Amino acid sequence: MRYFDWRGVLDRLARLWRSSLQARTVAITVLLSGIAVLIIGSYMSYSVGANLFDARRGQLESTSATATLAGQRVFDTAAEQVGTEDVDVTMRDAAVAISNAASSGGNTGFAILRTPGQEGPVTPTPILSLGADEFISDELRDAVRDSSDPRTHSQSVALTASDDTVHPGLVVGSVLSIRDSQYELYLIYDLVDAQETLDVVQRTLLLGGLALIVLIGAVTWVVVRLVVGPVRLAAQTSEKLAAGQLEVRIPVKGDDVIATLARSFNGMADSLQSQITRLAALSQVQQRFVSDVSHELRTPLTTIRLAGDVLYDQRETFPPTTARTAELLHTQVERFELLLADLLEMSRYDAGAVDMETEPTNLVRLVEDAIESVGSLAESKGSQLRLVAPGGYFEADVDSRRIRRILQNLLGNAIDHGEGKPIVVWVDSDQTAVAIAVRDYGVGMTAAAMDRVFDRFWRADPSRQRVTGGTGLGLAISLEDAALHGGWLEVWSAEGQGSCFRLTLPRVRGAALAGSPLGLPPDDEPPVDAPNDVPGGVRHA
Amino acid sequence: MNARILVVDDDTALAEMIGIVLRTEGFEPFFCEDGAAAVAAFHSAKPDLVLLDLMLPGMDGIEVCARIREESGVPIIMLTAKSDTADVVKGLESGADDYVVKPFNPKELVARVRTRLRPTPETPTDSLQIGDLVLDVAGHEVKRGDERINLTPLEFELLLALALKPQQVFTREMLLEQVWGYHYKADTRLVNVHVQRLRAKVEEDPDNPRIVMTVRGVGYRAGSIT
Repeated sequence: MRYFDWRGVLDRLARLWRSSLQARTVAITVLLSGIAVLIIGSYMSYSVGANLFDARRGQLESTSATATLAGQRVFDTAAEQVGTEDVDVTMRDAAVAISNAASSGGNTGFAILRTPGQEGPVTPTPILSLGADEFISDELRDAVRDSSDPRTHSQSVALTASDDTVHPGLVVGSVLSIRDSQYELYLIYDLVDAQETLDVVQRTLLLGGLALIVLIGAVTWVVVRLVVGPVRLAAQTSEKLAAGQLEVRIPVKGDDVIATLARSFNGMADSLQSQITRLAALSQVQQRFVSDVSHELRTPLTTIRLAGDVLYDQRETFPPTTARTAELLHTQVERFELLLADLLEMSRYDAGAVDMETEPTNLVRLVEDAIESVGSLAESKGSQLRLVAPGGYFEADVDSRRIRRILQNLLGNAIDHGEGKPIVVWVDSDQTAVAIAVRDYGVGMTAAAMDRVFDRFWRADPSRQRVTGGTGLGLAISLEDAALHGGWLEVWSAEGQGSCFRLTLPRVRGAALAGSPLGLPPDDEPPVDAPNDVPGGVRHA
Repeated sequence: MNARILVVDDDTALAEMIGIVLRTEGFEPFFCEDGAAAVAAFHSAKPDLVLLDLMLPGMDGIEVCARIREESGVPIIMLTAKSDTADVVKGLESGADDYVVKPFNPKELVARVRTRLRPTPETPTDSLQIGDLVLDVAGHEVKRGDERINLTPLEFELLLALALKPQQVFTREMLLEQVWGYHYKADTRLVNVHVQRLRAKVEEDPDNPRIVMTVRGVGYRAGSIT
């Protein structure tokens, strides 16, 4: 069975309607002009038909009047010549005379009927041509009978011709007076010739209207094409421009509004191109600068570092002042090195010159390693590190170097601000995401501090002594690292209750995050000494 | 006899400082400041190990590395200012055994140098089999049938580590610790690149390895003896 895909056709049409301004314009124009042509055509057809009918009826009525007179004369003459003549013969004579008089109008039948309700003999007998009586309605007879003047009356009827086609017809009635009795004469005319004329006119109107609509459609199509063409070209060109082909332009022809559009578009493209080229050059300079600084600064720093370390290793043989100097040199060079590394990493992010090297990584193991690496530091501050990992044992696609860096940062901060209280690390996962939360129960932060905690070189409390010797860029870099993974790094904190940083990462690289498997802070039993109430958190990234 | 170390670096201050560090640790340093002269210096100094800066005037450090590797398996450690760029991989691919990122501290540098100069670990047997290869541990030789395959000391050590425990699957981290002497997290690209280089030499079809097998998601193990 062949199946016609209506839905497909409708969909295609709907798409064409939405996508093609040209098709839409042509369709609307054709529709509206079609309605106009229909109205005008109908009116013209109606008025031509009415006029044609009126003229024909006038003509036929006058023909009928003549025929009536001819018939009346036959009866009058017969009455004068003989007394009691054969009225039926007279009747036939009259019928012939009437037929002759009326034949010019396309007469097809007639009837001479006696008006009912009269006294006296029913002579002559009414005569009528075959089937004529079925066209003579009672209303017409009433109208003819009641009129006192000799005017004719007419009525439209539908005639069935010999070939079974229906023709419009007209019955015209008038009054005859035969031997003091009132008779009615009805003449039936076929109006097929008028109908044919009307048909020709209507056909001409229809064809003319259709031709007009097609013409209007074609003209609209051409005109719209003239206007839409340049717009379409502009659209294509801007798409190419957006795709990065900065050198494309629209050809400018003439001096009209389209040319103005093309010129201003080209002007826009020019400035866009120069801006982008300038920015690209700037970015390249920036990147090269970063790379140069990286090399130029690192080589002397290496020498200083080596020299400082050699001195530091021999500090016991120096006098106390020199020994302390060597110590200071050693620690500060180390700090400078960290700062330089963070600065370079940050500027790499700013230049957009970072790439991820993801590999399937077991995050719980990664967290265990990170906790182990800060174990001695935590011990020195008296903080106990605890891992709670209900999930996260699968392998997630992450850049383990960056995640480890984030963890070390968060753990370092937690130890710094944890006031020796326990620190809990949660790891959990769901179908799409894995989350790591680092919770301390230390000093915490104000809401204002929470808003700024990811800012570069911002410190919660400048007077606070740092153990981990952070550079002030740690959280800013962590935030960038998380964003690079398409993940979130969020913070919750309350003064006196501690802080919680939650890292949420998609399990598959490039997947979008819908939510985090862990609460912020994770609603779990807090260790001893920890407060229970939890105000709302702030989300970053 | 003290190990001889050739330091190729255009920064004289750094080269001198490295020399001081090496000398205090009992090595004998030689210096070369120019990439173009590095190969000649290598010939004249006959070093036991080369410390090679990647950015050199005259000739690129990577090029120097490849030239030296063409004629010798002497351990090469790159000195690089960039840890996460393609340069490191390029350097490793051209034959460097290991790399140190500037700025490094003396202990780090000396640890890297010592690992590369340490003698091959003691083995219970003199001869080992891996796949269709025979390792002559004492002679530092690898043979397929009668054909001798030239490996650098590092490549030999990598193959030996796998062959000593044929049942064991080695993670990249384990290999980094055993072969490169890293006791903390290090760059796993070292393992990946060197396994590739090793396969190119020992496998009959490197795309379909039979000697150094990959265990997906874990690491590597030795191919079964044939």
